[in-house]
Amino acid sequence: MTDRTLASTLAVAAGAGAAIAAYLTVVHYRGGVPVCVSGGCETVQRSRYAELSGVPVATLGLGTYVALLASSLTRRQLVLAGAAATALAGVVFAAYLVYVQLVVLDAVCVWCIASDALLVVAAAAATARVWRTIE
Amino acid sequence: MTLHSRRPLLAVIAVATLLGAGVIAVSATQGESDPVTPASSLPTQGLFEGIPQSGIVLGSSSARVTLVEFADLQCPYCAQFTTQALPTIVRDYVRTGRVKLVFQGLAFVGPDSKTALRAVLAAGLQNRAWDMLDALYRRQGAENSGWVTRKVLRDAAREGRGLELARLFRDAQAPAVGRQLAQAQRYADAAGVHGTPTFFVGPSGGTLQQVELTSLSAEALRPALDAALGQ
Repeated sequence: MTDRTLASTLAVAAGAGAAIAAYLTVVHYRGGVPVCVSGGCETVQRSRYAELSGVPVATLGLGTYVALLASSLTRRQLVLAGAAATALAGVVFAAYLVYVQLVVLDAVCVWCIASDALLVVAAAAATARVWRTIE
Repeated sequence: MTLHSRRPLLAVIAVATLLGAGVIAVSATQGESDPVTPASSLPTQGLFEGIPQSGIVLGSSSARVTLVEFADLQCPYCAQFTTQALPTIVRDYVRTGRVKLVFQGLAFVGPDSKTALRAVLAAGLQNRAWDMLDALYRRQGAENSGWVTRKVLRDAAREGRGLELARLFRDAQAPAVGRQLAQAQRYADAAGVHGTPTFFVGPSGGTLQQVELTSLSAEALRPALDAALGQ
């Protein structure tokens, strides 16, 4: 797969993820409830896991996606490595949050799960880009 | 690809793992000992918003007067009191930090009382007992009809501003909750409580007196509360 294809995949996934994260950030600060088909979004959004040291997790996600989107525009190795590390760390944290939703809160937020799926795609693309540079 | 050439990728994975683990550690440990900070919009019309809760106690720990309520979650008069009179008591006495309320739950009506009470006490372990109490009273069904279903508990708990459901259901079966249940019954026996709701008022830490109510309204409780406050 060419770097161009990988960068495009990364950009699309990060762009879509950023849109979801932006929506959840707006909802968080307005104190509202996300439109939800699973019924668990409110519980998840209002739980103590929805913030990290006072910053909404959705906002952290937004920052991550914007950074990943920006990284898709360059080929500098250090940037690619930073992007891959950020995305993989995001996947690790997202996996933990899925565990929290299923086991601790007993409530699932579909927006979060959709965002997690996009993050996995973005992380795979970002890691593959690093892989290509050292092959 | 040699080990040497793999280094950048290994570094990326190492950094990602450390970063991810660090973020999880922060998330998992935060807020455990924080006082409960109520969220913004509330299904309970914000009745308890901004008021400290600790276990079965609602109100400031330094409140001068304590009002103890013995109640059964299946008792219609208890529900009536909580939905109709409590908001005024909370507004005038609890929110101002002068009175704290203590809920002593009894389960003499039947099995549904115990199931509901266990859930309220479990919510108390997350400092949300009063939210759960209010939410369950508003869903009260016919005596021992089996109305306290898992769905009712779940729906009620979802009004409880960030109540963790799985933990709630787990705690409801915990020995600590069973002990609290037995303790409330001992208090009720010692105080000679024969019906619900029964109220006791007095200086916090001092001797409480039973309040003879003429009606289940906030106005009926007011004289006893004002007297205890020395007004």
